[in-house]
Amino acid sequence: MTTATVATTAGRRASVRRPAVAPARRHRWWVPLVFIGPVLVIQVTFLFLPLGNTFVLAFTDASTIGGGTFTGWENFATIFTSPVFWEAAGHTGLYLVLAVPAIVCLSLFLAILVNTSMRGAGIVRPILFSPLVMPMAVVALMFQYVLSSDGLLNQVLRGLSIVTEPVGFLTSSRLALLSAVLVTVWKGCGLYTLILLAALQNVSRELDQAAELDGASWLRRTWSVTIPQIRGTVVLVAILSAIAALRVFTEPFVLTGGGPGTSSTTMVLYLFTQGISPGTQAGFASAVSLVLFVAVLLVSAVGWSVSRRSNR
Amino acid sequence: MSTLTASRTAPSRAALARTHRRGSVSTVERVVRWSLMVVAMVLVLGPLAWQLSTALKGAGESTAGFPGSLVPTDPTLDNFVTAFTAIPLGRYLLNSAAISALGVTTNLVLATLTGYALARIAFRGRALYMAVLLATAALPFEVILVSTLLVTRGLGLQDTLLGVVLPQAVSIVSIFVMRQAFRNVPDEIEEAALMDGAGALRVFWSVMLPSVRGSVAVVAVLGFLDTWDQFLWPLVILSDPAKYPVNVGVQFLSGAFSADQRVISAAALIVVVPPLLVYFFMQKQVFTGLAEGALKG
Repeated sequence: MTTATVATTAGRRASVRRPAVAPARRHRWWVPLVFIGPVLVIQVTFLFLPLGNTFVLAFTDASTIGGGTFTGWENFATIFTSPVFWEAAGHTGLYLVLAVPAIVCLSLFLAILVNTSMRGAGIVRPILFSPLVMPMAVVALMFQYVLSSDGLLNQVLRGLSIVTEPVGFLTSSRLALLSAVLVTVWKGCGLYTLILLAALQNVSRELDQAAELDGASWLRRTWSVTIPQIRGTVVLVAILSAIAALRVFTEPFVLTGGGPGTSSTTMVLYLFTQGISPGTQAGFASAVSLVLFVAVLLVSAVGWSVSRRSNR
Repeated sequence: MSTLTASRTAPSRAALARTHRRGSVSTVERVVRWSLMVVAMVLVLGPLAWQLSTALKGAGESTAGFPGSLVPTDPTLDNFVTAFTAIPLGRYLLNSAAISALGVTTNLVLATLTGYALARIAFRGRALYMAVLLATAALPFEVILVSTLLVTRGLGLQDTLLGVVLPQAVSIVSIFVMRQAFRNVPDEIEEAALMDGAGALRVFWSVMLPSVRGSVAVVAVLGFLDTWDQFLWPLVILSDPAKYPVNVGVQFLSGAFSADQRVISAAALIVVVPPLLVYFFMQKQVFTGLAEGALKG
C-alpha cells in the first residue's frame, strides 16, 4: 500500500526545503580520473565514437567501419527520393499522431480515476501501472496471440456479435499498424498514468474546494481547476510518448515483422532492414539514422517550447 | 489507506480528511469509479489471464475455435515443463540472468563513481561534462545503432556477454540519481572522515557510499528492469541462438517446430514473472526511480 506515498516522492522533495548542497572538494589530480575515467572510456567507445562515425558514414557508401568512399549528399538524395523511406516515415508519423493523443487522454483519465481515497483504489493502482515493468518484446508476443484470428479480441468481438468473421488485426495491411499502436498504448499507459497521478497528488485541494463551494460540478472542477494545474506534466507525457513513438521498433517487429508487405514498417524498422544484416549499406543506414535524429530533435524542440509556454 | 494521507504535507492532509473522509464519497461516485476501475483492470489483466488460460490447457483441449473457454477443463502444468525441455527456455533465462547481473553491476558501479564525482569532486570541465551528459541523454540509441554495431564488432565483441552489456553499461538517469543522492549527504560527515586522515577513495567507500544506500537500491532496481527489457541491441549483436536472452529467444518459438501456442504462452508468462516480482516487492524503488527519470527526461 505504499503506492500513493511513493508516487508523490518527487513532488514532496521539491516542497521540503533542501539542506544546503555540500561543496565540491579539491583532491589530488588523479582522484577525479579514478571516478569518471571508467565512464569516459565506455562513453568514448560506445557513444561518441559511434556518433561521430554515424555522421561520417552518412556521407559515404561504406558497408563497414571506416570503409567506403565519400559520396557527399548522395545518400540523402537517395533517401528522399525513395518511396519505401517515405512510406516508413509516413507510418511513423501516423504512429505519433495516433499513439500520443490516445496515451495522453487515456492515462489522464486513468490517473483521475484512481486519484481517490476510496477503499480498494490502493490495490487497483499498482495493477494498472504493472505493464510498465513487462518487457515490450514479451508484451508484443502476448498481443500477437490476443490479436490473432482465434485470439481473445476476436473471441470477444464475435461473442458480442460485433463481427461475424474474425478480424485480421495482424494480417490486414490496413489494421497491422493500428494493432502495433494498440500495444504501445496498452503498455505505455502504465508508466504515464503513474507520472500523471504523481502530479495530481501534488495539486492543492484548496482551489478545488473553493470551486466546490461555488457550486461547480465535479466535471467542471476537474476540467477547469485540476487539469490546468498539471498542464506541465501532461505536456511532459506528450513529449515522452512522442519521442517513444518515433523510436518504435519492437511492437511492429514482433507483431508483424513490419508487414504484411511493408504496411507496418516504421522508420527504425526500415533502418534495421537497411543497416543491420551483413552486407547491407552502413553508409545509407547512417544517413537514415541522421534523418531519424533530426526528427527526434524537432519533436523535442517543439515539445519543450510548448512546455515552456504552458508553464508560464 | 493511511499512506495516501500520510504522503501529503500537513495542511492538505487536514483538508483531505475533511472532504474525502471515506463516508463523504457519494454512492454515485463510488459506483461509477468502481465500475470504471473494474473495466480498466480487466483491460490490463485480460491479456495476461488469456495467456495463463492457454498455458494451462492440456494437449487435448483446443486453444482455437469459437467460442473459446477461459477456464481450462483439465488444467495442467505440462506446457511449463515443455517450455524448458522442448525449447531452450532455461538457457535463455540463464543468458538473461547473466546479462542482467553484469548490466546491473556495471550500471551501479559506473553511476555511483560518476555521480559522486559530479556531486562532490571539483575538477576542471565538470560543468561541461554535466552539459554533455544531459545532451547525450536526449540521443536515442537507435540513431547510433548501426555504428555501435560496427564498433562492437570491430572490438571482436559480437556474440559475447560483454558485447551485449558494454554499449549500454550505464544509464544517464542512474548517474543523475546518484549525483542527487551524494549532493544531499551532509558535508560534516565527509569533513569528519577527512579530518581523521582518510583518503578520497576511503571516504567514498566507507563513509559516502553507506549514506546513499537507498539510492543505490533504486539504481539497482532500475538497472534490472532496463536490462530485462532490452531487445533491439541483443537481437542485433547476437547471431548465435545459444547466447540469446529470453526476450529474443522466445520470439523464434512461433517459427520453431513446436509452434504450440500453449507452450509459447507458458514461456511468455515465465519471462514476465521476474520483473513483476521485483515491481511488487520494491515498488518504492521503482516509483522513485521512474519519477526522477521522468523529471530528468
